Amino acid sequence: MLNQPSRALKAVAFLILSVWAAAVLYPLLWTFLSALKDNPQFLTNKPWALPETPLLWKHFTYVWQTYNFGSYFMNSVLVTVVSSIAAIVLSASTAYVFSRFEFRGSRLLYVAYLSAMMIPLILGLIPLFFLLDDFGLINKLGGLAIVYTAWAIPFGVFVLGGFFKSLPKELEEAAYIDGAGYFRTFFQIMLPMAKSGLVTVTIVNALNNWNEYIMGTVFINDPTQYTLPVGIAIMQAEMQYRTEWGPLFAGLLISMAPVLLMYMFFQRQIVSGLTAGAIK
Amino acid sequence: MEIRKTLGTVLTLALILVLAACGGGGKEKQTASGGDTPSSSNASPASPDASPVTPAESSDAQLEGDFEIQYFVGGYGDAWWKDVIAQFQELHPNLKIKQSAGPKINEQMKPRWIQGSPPDVVYIDGAGSNPRQMIEDDQLLDLSDWIGQATNVDGEKILDVMIAQPEQYGGKTYNIPLVFGSYGTFYDKALFAKNGWEAPSTYEEFLTLSEKIKAAGISPYIHTGVYPDYILGGFLYPAIISANGDDGQILQDMGDMKEGVFASEPVMKALNQLAETGSKGFIDQGAPALNHTDSQMLFLQRKAAMIPNGLWLESEMKNDAPADFEYGFVPSVTQSAGGKYVALPYTSTMAVAKKAKNPEAAKAFIQFIFTKQASLNWAEKTGALMNVKVDLESSSAGETAKNAMKYYSSDNTLVAPVVVFNADVFKVMCDATVALSVNKITPEQWAERVEAAAAKARK
Amino acid sequence: MSRQLQRKLFIAAFLVPTFLFFSVFVLYPVAKGAHISLFDWSGSSEHMTYVGLDNFKEIVRDPIVWKAIGNDYFLVLGKTIGIVLLATFFAVAVTRLRIRGASFFRIAFFIPNIISIVVIGVLWRFVYNPSIGFLNSFLSLFAAEPVNRPWLGEEGTALWSILWPSIWAGIGFYFLLLVAAIMGIPASLYEAAEIDGAKQGRQFWTITLPLVWEQVKVSVLHIVMTTLNGSFVMVLLMTEGGPDNSTQVLGSYLYQMGFRQFHMGYAAALGVVILIVSLLTTLVLQRLLRRDTVEYS
Repeated sequence: MLNQPSRALKAVAFLILSVWAAAVLYPLLWTFLSALKDNPQFLTNKPWALPETPLLWKHFTYVWQTYNFGSYFMNSVLVTVVSSIAAIVLSASTAYVFSRFEFRGSRLLYVAYLSAMMIPLILGLIPLFFLLDDFGLINKLGGLAIVYTAWAIPFGVFVLGGFFKSLPKELEEAAYIDGAGYFRTFFQIMLPMAKSGLVTVTIVNALNNWNEYIMGTVFINDPTQYTLPVGIAIMQAEMQYRTEWGPLFAGLLISMAPVLLMYMFFQRQIVSGLTAGAIK
Repeated sequence: MEIRKTLGTVLTLALILVLAACGGGGKEKQTASGGDTPSSSNASPASPDASPVTPAESSDAQLEGDFEIQYFVGGYGDAWWKDVIAQFQELHPNLKIKQSAGPKINEQMKPRWIQGSPPDVVYIDGAGSNPRQMIEDDQLLDLSDWIGQATNVDGEKILDVMIAQPEQYGGKTYNIPLVFGSYGTFYDKALFAKNGWEAPSTYEEFLTLSEKIKAAGISPYIHTGVYPDYILGGFLYPAIISANGDDGQILQDMGDMKEGVFASEPVMKALNQLAETGSKGFIDQGAPALNHTDSQMLFLQRKAAMIPNGLWLESEMKNDAPADFEYGFVPSVTQSAGGKYVALPYTSTMAVAKKAKNPEAAKAFIQFIFTKQASLNWAEKTGALMNVKVDLESSSAGETAKNAMKYYSSDNTLVAPVVVFNADVFKVMCDATVALSVNKITPEQWAERVEAAAAKARK
Repeated sequence: MSRQLQRKLFIAAFLVPTFLFFSVFVLYPVAKGAHISLFDWSGSSEHMTYVGLDNFKEIVRDPIVWKAIGNDYFLVLGKTIGIVLLATFFAVAVTRLRIRGASFFRIAFFIPNIISIVVIGVLWRFVYNPSIGFLNSFLSLFAAEPVNRPWLGEEGTALWSILWPSIWAGIGFYFLLLVAAIMGIPASLYEAAEIDGAKQGRQFWTITLPLVWEQVKVSVLHIVMTTLNGSFVMVLLMTEGGPDNSTQVLGSYLYQMGFRQFHMGYAAALGVVILIVSLLTTLVLQRLLRRDTVEYS
């Protein structure tokens, strides 16, 4: 390397990055420390004080026993996986058509999808409830997955539409000349090339659906079907009425842990997935 | 107004007398007729043309079918509900009871109400619930006739055993107060004793005391700026009633949005008191940013000396108070010398859905829970008060609740009527009150804003 | 099968299922919701009264709506600038500057995106707490007397105090997107530039920025859209729109009117306004951002 960035620049950048890292990591630490404190400690000691011994690990066992985190978690996984996959299938196909084929009304349809991204969810919330009810999908995880899928389509069409458009056309044309059909060309050539776009969209959708709780709260009213965010929202509401801060933070940590671990393990794959299609 | 001294021990009973004598309710002193002859007399002045109903039937007969109870679970927990519902189930084994409950139940049940398939009976409490709105939406059953004569399962007339009487909407009763609370000003007796301070009994004393507290480096008065309900209930409403010559009718007029009432002289006087307290720097500077947990926490840490709050404060914060903390309570701090304390009741109510599929069971359930035994059970399970008079002295109700009773049993305290405001007017009143407390607007501007909101809501 | 027919079949097979799904579960309920804006409806009653465009006329006259729109744009502007600048800087730092611990930063910076919004709300309220908060405790270290500023309670500071956590919570994803984009730039381009003696600064302006412009554009659009229709969550958590409506945004006002003050018809009309405002903004923005995307493939 001929031209190393200057030392000063590197030092300043490192400092700024460290400050930001502290700003994002400290909350986790704070949540963890707070989970081990009882109320008097939590309220009267300095916010950055360490918990007093004995550490109150019982807060963790208490929430684990009181709330069905295992079942919330499984429900969330189910809904998130199903809806993320379904959404990517539905939006990738449509996005590809928009990027390569012109037909009457295609422009209008595309704009309709784009505009839908700006629709405030709350506007459709109550009509949606009655719709699901008509289909017998209230209190069903399937109903939730369907709704999440549908609401994720516009974003997928938006990102993937742009993505397919930026991919070179030569490969497809070559495939067509070789006699490949439209379907085969899409699945064998275009889809693999769009990997980074697919990963991006899936991550965003999965995160959104994993954290979604407004629809979850309104459409699911059966504790055995609660997803994690709904369970947390209920837990948080209950604990705030009882001012059980320690257990509340313990519960929040328990709910965060799987995602955090998953992210740490797969972070490389995620980033390389994001870049994959872009190189070469 | 003669209160028997011996009632000191039976505090709640005394409370009823005071309420009946001073408060707006006029249904006092009806000797409870036995449960066997419920329709023998035209008992309810509120509904002279009451068509006879026979509550005894519904409480004795075996109930069947589906029966759904919706109840909000908040600071009081759900132990009491589970308990009474289990008892009710035992009494009516053929009834299929469904409980729809939780801290988010108001949101969760909303579509059902819109759809016209509500639960049978509902306990109205928590965010997103407003009985006035439910009545305007025509969702609640008119209980005027029934409640006038209804007896509980012990054969006592329900209206007679209640502490606070039901609110009236256009002269009708739709909902029945189940939980009884009251606003007031709280302080820490230990802190006051240490500094030689005395709880204020008049507005003048409040100002002098605040001056001293401020000099000692503590915020004299803190409140929950994000939810101004507290400063309204603990400061402004009592001030208005005091300024109105201890007549609670003005609050009722405000609730009914009578033209000009928000700019009337008593209201202006009260507003000026709040503005004065603010401009003298007695109100904690941080208050507008605080929610109830924040403000209560600061109060418990003695960063502030006084806080307007409700009787539920002690049980809500039972895990949080320092060991030497001692709750003190005065109903109001805004009366002039010679005026009475003004206590502002706060109730959460029960109602029957207009479209209830099993109204018989709903009514029977109400008759089942408005008993002394259930009330005692409530006090023990929640530390707060249920709206049925019972001797609490030996119960585990909180010290605050018991202390507060001493004020209620004194003829120097006036209990204001229960008023539920129109949501729009209330929101404007909340915003304007916080703005006034930091002297961003003048009392005149407050009056202007709220009058305008009321005019709009009247349309 | 003719090529033409194949093409039609393909298009239909790829469009129709998605569109059906989308129509039934998004368009239909939203259209129905928008229809509510023509009614006077409490949101809980079984009955509605048709009032035509009255709700919209009312909105135009409502001073809080105008204030809310102003606040929305404040947040849009603040978040876009803050997030894009910081995310770009961070992304360049962990990729091009070869800083130590780059992979650690990459993990760390994404964390706010996985923290539940509930924790974020509780946490930042503690940061801003007037007497025991981090911020005032920290500032007091440098001041003669203790700082007691109610950051969320003063009209001058409340909205700013909502902006920071929004940036803090939002940055992770865009950071990652830009990291990926920069890593996708062929190394040969930089090598060539270095041989020409281009310094880091020039490399950034001539190579990095033009080649990630597409991602920056997508980020900006996405931030703008999610802010206009999602920033209300942060507002509700931090201030509930107060003090005295000074932090109200359209979304929080919609929530307030629909669920607290029982004017669902009016709230639906506000929803339609949010939709229109978002559409217009995005349209204008897309024109502004139109700049030839450099392709390097």
